[in-house]
Amino acid sequence: MKVLIIIPAYNEQDNIERVVKHLTENYPEYDYVVINDGSMDKTSEICHSNHYNIIDLPVNLGLAGGFQTGMKYAYQKGYDCAVQFDADGQHRPEYIAAMIRKIEEGNDIVIASRFVEEKKPTTARMIGSRLITTAIRLTSGAKIMDPTSGMRMYNKKLIEVLANNINFGPEPDTVSYLIKMGAKVAEIQAKMDERIAGQSYLNAVNAAKYMARMLISILLIQNFRNKKKVDFTK
Amino acid sequence: MSIAFRITLIIVSVFTLLYMCKKVKQEKLQIEYSIFWTLFAIMLVLFSIFPQIADWMSELVGVYSTTNFIFLLIIFILLVKCFQLTMDISKLDNKVKELVQKIAIDEKEKREQK
Repeated sequence: MKVLIIIPAYNEQDNIERVVKHLTENYPEYDYVVINDGSMDKTSEICHSNHYNIIDLPVNLGLAGGFQTGMKYAYQKGYDCAVQFDADGQHRPEYIAAMIRKIEEGNDIVIASRFVEEKKPTTARMIGSRLITTAIRLTSGAKIMDPTSGMRMYNKKLIEVLANNINFGPEPDTVSYLIKMGAKVAEIQAKMDERIAGQSYLNAVNAAKYMARMLISILLIQNFRNKKKVDFTK
Repeated sequence: MSIAFRITLIIVSVFTLLYMCKKVKQEKLQIEYSIFWTLFAIMLVLFSIFPQIADWMSELVGVYSTTNFIFLLIIFILLVKCFQLTMDISKLDNKVKELVQKIAIDEKEKREQK
């Protein structure tokens, strides 16, 4: 299985070297690509001086556009699966092997989930996560314990779909739509680390906006989309 | 609010929502751009089903008639949206300019290297 780790990076000069170094030194069996999403800081310089595999976007596209660039690259290079991986050091590459096994078992999406075996705490953010879990359950019947986990692996069929279509951003609403079309989703238990340096864009206002967007999308808009867009029976 | 006005608001809102969903289905509209119109339509439907909310709000801001308050609110929301769109266009304009310039300079460098 050819695996590509897609690392979208926006202003991650304090994290990117540590994250990529950890991958290349301890997990050389996986390919990776850094998508520099028009960073204003030294992210690009650091990657080029270390000869990392990097794609520089000339303008900022946002997470969805940056990730899709990685999917297009994976599609062109013929990778069998691609995994979305944060540049801030939250995600641990040791779970990738278990995720690949799940793909080999026939799953289309594998989510590295914090809450398969462990209970969700009742912080404000996790209440949001619960709402999304409930929304997905109501509309698709599937129980996704950690829908907002950013570490997701997609198989070859989904690389093609996500690379070439609009409204397939790497977010929980896409997962809910894919489940409705018949995609198989698996979750594996994973630990995640706190980001070490830099700032998350997820402040209270953005988090509320994100929640509203996800809930409206999952509960309402996704129900009207074409359910035969992708054939998962083949 | 008269019954006729309330029914009109509901019909218009439902058609707006359906039209938008059709555009998403045809892959002509990104979902994030449809969220505003969804919320807008839901708000109008809520006002039509529970006119007490609009009555209360119009009293709060000192508008004599509830219908006038709804018109005012719609105009205000659309103005804010219009301003946001202007900012978005300006941002897009800038991005296109940067892209065109980058492509042109890259092409020139490629030609000179040959």
